[in-house]
Amino acid sequence: MHRRTLIQLFAAASCAGLFPPLLRAETGAAPKVGGTLKIALMGLDTSDPHRHSGSISVQQVYVETLTSVANDGTVKPFLAERFEVSDDGKVFTFYLRDNVQFHNGRTMTAQDIKANLERVRDKVSAGWLSTSMKLVDTISVTSPLTIRIELKESFAPLLNLLSELWIVAPESEGWDETIRHPIGTGPFTFGTWQANQRFYAPAFKQYWQAGLPYLDAVDFDLRGDRDNSLSLRSGDLHVAYVNNERLPSLRSDNVEVQFLGDTSWYFMSFNNRKPRSLLQDVRVRQAIALSIDKSAYMSFIGGQEALISNQLTRPQTFYWDQALEQRDTFARPNLAQARALLQSAGVDPAQHTLKVVSWQADYAQVAVQMVRELGFKIEHQALDDIGAQRALAQYDWDLAPFHSGPRADVYLRYARLQSQGPSPMLWGGIQDAELDRLIAQAVDAPSASVARERYLGAWQHVMDRLYTLGIGHSADAIGVAANVHGYQTGFTWSQNRVDSGLARTWLSA
Amino acid sequence: MSRVIKQWPWLILGLAVVIALLAPLLPTQDPYYQSLLARNLAPSAQHWLGTDSFGRDVLARLVAGTRLTLLVAVAATCIAFVGGVGLGLLGCLAGGVTRTVIYTGFDMILTMPAILLSLALMVALGVGTGSVILAVGIAFMPLFAYVTRAIHERESAAGYVTAARVIGVSPLTIAWRHVLPNAIGTLLTQIAIVMPRAITTESVLSFFGMGVAPDVPTWGRIIATAAGFAEQAPLSLLFPVLALALTTLSLSLVGTRLRDTLDPLGKQLAAGA
Repeated sequence: MHRRTLIQLFAAASCAGLFPPLLRAETGAAPKVGGTLKIALMGLDTSDPHRHSGSISVQQVYVETLTSVANDGTVKPFLAERFEVSDDGKVFTFYLRDNVQFHNGRTMTAQDIKANLERVRDKVSAGWLSTSMKLVDTISVTSPLTIRIELKESFAPLLNLLSELWIVAPESEGWDETIRHPIGTGPFTFGTWQANQRFYAPAFKQYWQAGLPYLDAVDFDLRGDRDNSLSLRSGDLHVAYVNNERLPSLRSDNVEVQFLGDTSWYFMSFNNRKPRSLLQDVRVRQAIALSIDKSAYMSFIGGQEALISNQLTRPQTFYWDQALEQRDTFARPNLAQARALLQSAGVDPAQHTLKVVSWQADYAQVAVQMVRELGFKIEHQALDDIGAQRALAQYDWDLAPFHSGPRADVYLRYARLQSQGPSPMLWGGIQDAELDRLIAQAVDAPSASVARERYLGAWQHVMDRLYTLGIGHSADAIGVAANVHGYQTGFTWSQNRVDSGLARTWLSA
Repeated sequence: MSRVIKQWPWLILGLAVVIALLAPLLPTQDPYYQSLLARNLAPSAQHWLGTDSFGRDVLARLVAGTRLTLLVAVAATCIAFVGGVGLGLLGCLAGGVTRTVIYTGFDMILTMPAILLSLALMVALGVGTGSVILAVGIAFMPLFAYVTRAIHERESAAGYVTAARVIGVSPLTIAWRHVLPNAIGTLLTQIAIVMPRAITTESVLSFFGMGVAPDVPTWGRIIATAAGFAEQAPLSLLFPVLALALTTLSLSLVGTRLRDTLDPLGKQLAAGA
């Protein structure tokens, strides 16, 4: 079997196990043009699409990509009309659409794609795809609408990852440093951005998909960490992320609830980059892991629909392993064993204060209290996204209960465990050459089954050293008001995809 | 009976202080203990005021919150008192540039609402109980400094101070022996005015997630947690709001009465009325 076929299989396998989102039965009425959709999902941490740290639900509306992860989780051409992969899996050729315009009216060419790929590879040091793009050897433009990417070695996740490498016009303000006003090709333009407050995106009338978008504008509420359910019920928001415990009241008010195709996974990391001597003793880490009641924790987060797992992929999917799950030493809490471990390590928890950093999420309080049951004193900092990233990057903390959202490819979950991965602080800034090697081997596997085996080997390596504790998975819920039509959640948070998204969404009266 | 009713602010305050002092000894449950299977429960024999969204006993958190909230308010008021009176007096005694610098600083602090200034200070200091106390304390320093300056100027013009100065008593001694004792009544009144504002400021900071750690039971945090579940468990919200409202109202009324009794200007106003 050729690597080309395997790469396509990888793309499908990485997204296996998805479930179709629930959709309100459409009336069949013709879409109505106009109106401003008010939406609250995630934040926007930078105006530079190449430098974001993984918080991705906003920028897809103004910048687009060569490929797109469709609703069913498979990767499809998007700004590219089609693509070809060489037999050895090292050469990717993309044939671009010929009618794509940037927001400044200029037509997109293969030279623009080349400039973007080179910028991410050569100029961006801590971006989402910086590490992956280092594998790109040569980028050549073979015609105004054809671009050829040659890799140093085969890299199966590339097609999926390109769904998050946004194409920006090189004439955008700040291109040489940090892009401040991105000129993209999306159905909406980069309008007004107030960090952590609001992002307003007016429609792009010359969008390459004729007749789209239906809306006049999209108004993003970026305040985050709020209960959006009341705003949905009152009509102040049309589409919003909601906590699972709000679902009954939303449904009773005729607000439709959809779930993302992929799940968020919940974990608690230890500080691996600069651990205090207390946490360097694996028995102390084990004791803390044994204090976590995964069942109660996940039930608190996602109710009956939440899943308990010690792995970073959702149970019953391709890259998840039942045997590994059954060997989970920390599957159930055991405070007696935890206290015995602390005693054997000569640790009196009452004499120690553990520093915890988290988002302002309720589940972090649950984690804190579970660890506190061991007798430790806790100093808990609950911060907004940017504040948490800053605090984590200083590595002056011990524990970090967090979650990570759906990803376009399983590699993007492992990428952040690498020494040079994007936003490594959420996993304690692991610096482990052996783990890097195991992940690199998984990426370069000759078959899907071998890749699975190698990824699981890498995860076993993480578990053996207890860099982070896998706790479980829960699907993120999105509430959709009754007057919103054509909106469909995707596999990830992306709001503009090859087969759906905000471009196809419209509002009735 | 009517006399007792008239004293209700003192009774409420007394109750709050007693609860705050005896909180560790009261037979309430652990205010941090979570029972995740018993979330948002209505009042019952086991949980007199019900449970919150983490399954924590509301009564236990309210009791612990009384202690913590009053502790933060008292500590912040102490900082405001010591800083305001100390720096205010220093400015008055030193005069010249020192006085200008100190009081210009207080003028600048006063141009911002206390909550806004405290929020800004919290950003600089970082979250935590110590930071809250310091931020709220700094925000209210000018209120003591201006009172100190007014009293200092009034007393400095008095004949006995002039006499003391003539016989060679140092300005510091005059301030310590003559000015401050005369200021006690007014400053006590000021404490009673500042403290409810400190409680409210701390509660607002905590409500916005900028105060103490999220699971620490101050009234502001308890209200913030309960506000998200007002539909499912309205009583979890009602009790801490009542505690906050009654205590701040009582303190304000007590402050007014203290002013009428202890402050010379207040006495005149009361007599005039």
